[in-house]
Amino acid sequence: MDRRRADFDTFVAASTDSLMRTAYLIVGDLQDAEDLVQETLLKVADRWHRVRRMEHPVAYARRILVNRALNDAGRRTRRRRELTGEALPDRFDDADEPLAFDAHDELLKVLATLPTRQRTAIVLRYFLDLPEAEVAAAMKCSLGTVKSTAARGLARLEQALRTTNDKRSIST
Amino acid sequence: MTEQLEAEVRAALHERAAQVPAARIARLTHTDYHPRTRRLGPPRRVRPPLAIGALTTAAGTAGAVAVIVSLTAGASNAFAGWTAKPTPPTPGQLAGARASCETSQSPISGLPLKLADTRGPYTFAIYADSNSSAACIKGPSFVAVSASVASSAVNVPAGQILLSTSHQTDRGGDGYSFADGRTGAGVSGVTLTLDDGTNVQATVGAGWFVAWWPSGHPIKSAELTTPTGIVTQTFNLTPEIPCHLAPRCSSSVSDVGGGGPAAGGGTSVSGFASGGGEVQSGSVQSSSRSR
Repeated sequence: MDRRRADFDTFVAASTDSLMRTAYLIVGDLQDAEDLVQETLLKVADRWHRVRRMEHPVAYARRILVNRALNDAGRRTRRRRELTGEALPDRFDDADEPLAFDAHDELLKVLATLPTRQRTAIVLRYFLDLPEAEVAAAMKCSLGTVKSTAARGLARLEQALRTTNDKRSIST
Repeated sequence: MTEQLEAEVRAALHERAAQVPAARIARLTHTDYHPRTRRLGPPRRVRPPLAIGALTTAAGTAGAVAVIVSLTAGASNAFAGWTAKPTPPTPGQLAGARASCETSQSPISGLPLKLADTRGPYTFAIYADSNSSAACIKGPSFVAVSASVASSAVNVPAGQILLSTSHQTDRGGDGYSFADGRTGAGVSGVTLTLDDGTNVQATVGAGWFVAWWPSGHPIKSAELTTPTGIVTQTFNLTPEIPCHLAPRCSSSVSDVGGGGPAAGGGTSVSGFASGGGEVQSGSVQSSSRSR
């Protein structure tokens, strides 16, 4: 096995876990997430001769993944509509029935209804703990846009959390 | 509130992310993503077209009508992960392909699944009843369906195959090819040999065989496993509109070997090539012999 190929395999082994979990949080569907990661790694493999010289190849892969997730958001929704006959928001699958008034489930349900850009900003910022500048680089937008996009998403989540707490108060 | 909210969001995201099955990550980790074009003939990168439409003629019957539907168009890739021999499907691969292929808008709708061929992340499925057939290929970034209607029933002689093959090229001139068809009684294995010497093992079952490869090299012969041993069937498939002359092209030929045409129509001819948005139709000459 040549060195370049070995380097790529090492990169795949080290980055796939993070890419897959990030993709799942953004697209909300395991199969879509898997497809997204495969497409990303195929593209990275295609350009590995250049990517391997980069300081942070995983940041490059993440940028491809995010770019594709944002560009394909409409296609995923259309496909889901074709398959289900309904127009559904992005969803999380394979999840157990949510517990009543579980704050995390409520947050995730609202997260799934956010516009893809808001959800992506929140996932990159709070799941990967990326600095806002790196989120901006991954999303190919300005720092200000990241701040405002994440803030709008957080506001929606905060509202959901308050509603959950209110329900919990009423029920107890 | 903001810090508490941020902490809650972090915890919720990590909780959800932990639900990704380890097997999916392992599968992604062990997939071969390396471009394989160097092993497959001409030293050029092979890419699918932006909108893929495979043309599959109806099992060698004259008067076949092809319907090409591209369900979704994806970005190109280099067919990494393709294998010359079929690979076992990964968990969920067939179900995922069927979900993508069998939509209500698809010409597949209502046709039973006959055979599925999996090679790395790609699934190529044949759906058919007595007079219609459809093929669907699902890859990591695309789904494409083609369908055809036969004018009469197909009867393939024992120990032979009825071959339909199509070739696609994109605007860059890169290509890939499909082959599928019916198997006569007793045929339990099919290995195609391309004109560059590449051997591609087909998936065989339910009276059908399926194979595809990421190049434009045509089939030269097929080795058939039969009860009496290995039989070689040769082909001479020459499209009248060669794909290499068109900037974007799809052509198709079908043929039966064994010294005579299959009952129900004989050698089928159909093909098209398109460039700049225009589609040209034309016939394809084909012949074959067995030895």
